[in-house]
Amino acid sequence: MTLLLQTLIFGVLTGGVYALMASGFTLIFGVMRVINLSHGALLILAAYLTWWVWDRTAIDPLLLGTGVSVVMYGVGWLLYKTVIARVQRIDPELTLVASFAFAIAAAGVIALVAGTEARAATPSYFNTSFHVGELVVPRAQLYACVGALAILGGLYALLHGTALGRGIRACATSRTGAELVGIDVERSMSQMFAIGCATTGFGGAALAVLYQFVPDSHYVWIGRILCVVVLGGLGSFAGAALGAAVLGIGEAMTAAYWDSRWITAVPYMLIIVILILRPQGILGARLRAGSGAP
Amino acid sequence: MSPRRRRTLTLLPLAAGVAVLVAIPPLSTNIYLQNVAIMTFVLAILASGWNIIGGYTGYVSLGHSAFIGVGAYTAGILAERWGVSPFLVAPLGGITAMFVAFVLGLATRRTRGAAFVIVTFAMLELLGLVADNWTSLTGGSNGLVMPLPTWPVEYQNWPFYYSLLGLLLLSIGMSAWIKRSKLGLGLMAIRDDEDKAAGIGVTTPLYKSIAFMASAVLVGVAGAVYGYYVSFLDTSAMFDIALAIQVVLAALLGGRGTVWGPVLGAFLLQPLIELTNSSLGGQDAGAIRLILFGGLLLAVTLLLPRGLLGELERAVRRLRDVPVPSPTGARLEAAAVPVSLRGARPVADATAPPLLVVRGLSKQFGGVAALEDVTFSVPAGSITALIGPNGSGKTTAFNLIDGSYTPSSGAIELGGELITDRSRTRRAFAGIGRTYQLPRLFDSLSVLENVAAVTGELQVRGLGRSAVSGATATQSAELLDFVGLGDYVAARATDLSYGQRKLVELAQVLMLDPALILLDEPVAGINPTLVERLGDLIRSLNAAGKTFLIVEHDMQFVLSLCDPVVVLSRGTVIADGGPAAVSSDPAVLEAYLGEDFHAEVSPIGAMP
Repeated sequence: MTLLLQTLIFGVLTGGVYALMASGFTLIFGVMRVINLSHGALLILAAYLTWWVWDRTAIDPLLLGTGVSVVMYGVGWLLYKTVIARVQRIDPELTLVASFAFAIAAAGVIALVAGTEARAATPSYFNTSFHVGELVVPRAQLYACVGALAILGGLYALLHGTALGRGIRACATSRTGAELVGIDVERSMSQMFAIGCATTGFGGAALAVLYQFVPDSHYVWIGRILCVVVLGGLGSFAGAALGAAVLGIGEAMTAAYWDSRWITAVPYMLIIVILILRPQGILGARLRAGSGAP
Repeated sequence: MSPRRRRTLTLLPLAAGVAVLVAIPPLSTNIYLQNVAIMTFVLAILASGWNIIGGYTGYVSLGHSAFIGVGAYTAGILAERWGVSPFLVAPLGGITAMFVAFVLGLATRRTRGAAFVIVTFAMLELLGLVADNWTSLTGGSNGLVMPLPTWPVEYQNWPFYYSLLGLLLLSIGMSAWIKRSKLGLGLMAIRDDEDKAAGIGVTTPLYKSIAFMASAVLVGVAGAVYGYYVSFLDTSAMFDIALAIQVVLAALLGGRGTVWGPVLGAFLLQPLIELTNSSLGGQDAGAIRLILFGGLLLAVTLLLPRGLLGELERAVRRLRDVPVPSPTGARLEAAAVPVSLRGARPVADATAPPLLVVRGLSKQFGGVAALEDVTFSVPAGSITALIGPNGSGKTTAFNLIDGSYTPSSGAIELGGELITDRSRTRRAFAGIGRTYQLPRLFDSLSVLENVAAVTGELQVRGLGRSAVSGATATQSAELLDFVGLGDYVAARATDLSYGQRKLVELAQVLMLDPALILLDEPVAGINPTLVERLGDLIRSLNAAGKTFLIVEHDMQFVLSLCDPVVVLSRGTVIADGGPAAVSSDPAVLEAYLGEDFHAEVSPIGAMP
């Protein structure tokens, strides 16, 4: 029983971080119908930035995450303007190919600049825990999860409480409709894409603290993100949160009850099983062009 | 240029190319050259297979290299267990790859491209992990050693070379055959507009499944040969994401959706890959290769999205195309109803049971009720109208009748049979054909192909037949003649005007030979002469036994043509009866026609 409870705690804490990582991806899909396969590479880029500054200044890496978010906002905006918006005009089908190509090239650049050794940011509280009875709550995991949930809350407030957020949600419902009521669609799109990418800032910082990473890790992370959104139904925020919890718990369960070698296979197995048996995700929003909104 | 001469002109360089490739090994003992050629064949087979699902069907696979691994491990494991040559069990590698494609293809039954990309990527990563972790079967990260070749050493790698060359020719042959077949036409229809394809009788889940299996099978066989060639299977090389990217790159570079493009792309790309492999060294080599191929793929999507052959094809078409004068309004003489459509169903009979019955039909979108408890029927042999103000639920009713939407509640019967639970395609087979308010055509196909793509009850054997030939071609041309577009069979659907597109869509529906034809605003935005002509067409088809259900706002058209008339308002039926009775019904006048409406029931476009 303690083992089960402990596993659930690990799973939920990890799930909180996954939810933030997937939120930007699902926002972009929900509004633009774009599968941004560079999301994993952006996370890894943010992780390297965090690690690099932490290594030189010893500033808390999770705090650095907020600053890195601003940088990732800029990276996202540039990516949108130089690649995504152009390919969308040429052939929307190819945006996912272009974003994947960008991810591969970006991983190459990171490897060239930072090398290919495994990195991890290890602040003082790394590997220490709170103890509640027999249960262990790792501090780094807890801080990362709380930070992720706070940023998710901020994102929700941004989308529902500001004019920019209303514009973005209007575009998600109907692009032409948004144009008709005087929303600058192009601007809303670039802002939204940049905001979606900015979520990888704190996500990457959390990644740097909680996991070891190399440039090629972006495949694993885009796999996890895809799993989260497939579980929850693409484009759905609430679904992403639920999917993140399911994946986090699933991975923790696999480690506790089966074999930790199979942890990395869990997201892919979930993806394939869900897409074959229940393509609409757990919550039931259909995975097809032209439906669903964040 | 005569077709025959053109054929010779394409076949000549092909034969020359094959001759050169066949002659290379005996003339050269250069192992490096042989290796480059073998790797090129593997990539070309992969790209050619990828093109069937990614090019023809428009479903991008990001994990196609997994089929190389599946084939290699199948043959490697079986060869070891049974003590036979991997060549002997290579076909089983193809069959395993096909099976994997079948299982994963199940994910595309009800979903679209996004799910497919995700599932193929997950397949590649998962199979790599399984091969890594299931050590008792695959040797895990220690790898699997293939048996040594049994032929004399002076044959060098020729057996690998020739078998892969043979597989490549087979791949190209299969790809060319699919492109010309009924199956291929259906796949291209799916790429252009999947919903519409389902509505004209293309059994989309089956077509997609066959396409994915066809794209995997020869890659699996090639994987078995390739594994034997490299003599040692290690999981990271057999389930290689870099190779999966190179496949996409080769296909896009050469031109996806063309038969030769992916092959050309592979022949251009692989030498570059070999060059970087041999010239780049040191610890940064991997990083530079990532930047190079990632950057190249990015550049192709941005600068050359159609690929080399795609651009060439476009340029040639521009040169060859002679503009034809616009026919809309130019050809309006009434043509006789084609024999194939005549007397298909009994003509109007008041005592016969209605053809279509809609009972208690409701549809909610979230909290909005678009239709509420709608009941009406379409008598067999009638031209029934469905009218009402904008937003009253007419198009929703069409979408429920043709199976685009599933109703929240209620029943739909066609010819006495309940069809509420049937799929879109099965309703098309049952006898429902439909046009759209904004005509939907397959834009990359010609006008003739648009009509020939329409397919009746599924016959798996018929899928291999040439798509536009024989009876299908004759009938398509006949129907296009009937709607007045006989001169436009070779034009591209994109080049047509709005009115012409409406007529092509009508020909598509007629090709389906349905008992019931649903027309969504057939005369909206069409010039008056064409309206008259369309009225004639509908009348003569009706006389030949077709039943119509028409949504239309042009009241003169409706009242002169239709009986009965069903009026919808705010999702419910407010009137149902003859045109005269309905047009003087106070409820209808208030909700739709307006108080000052005066019915003018004068026949327009009457038969001579």
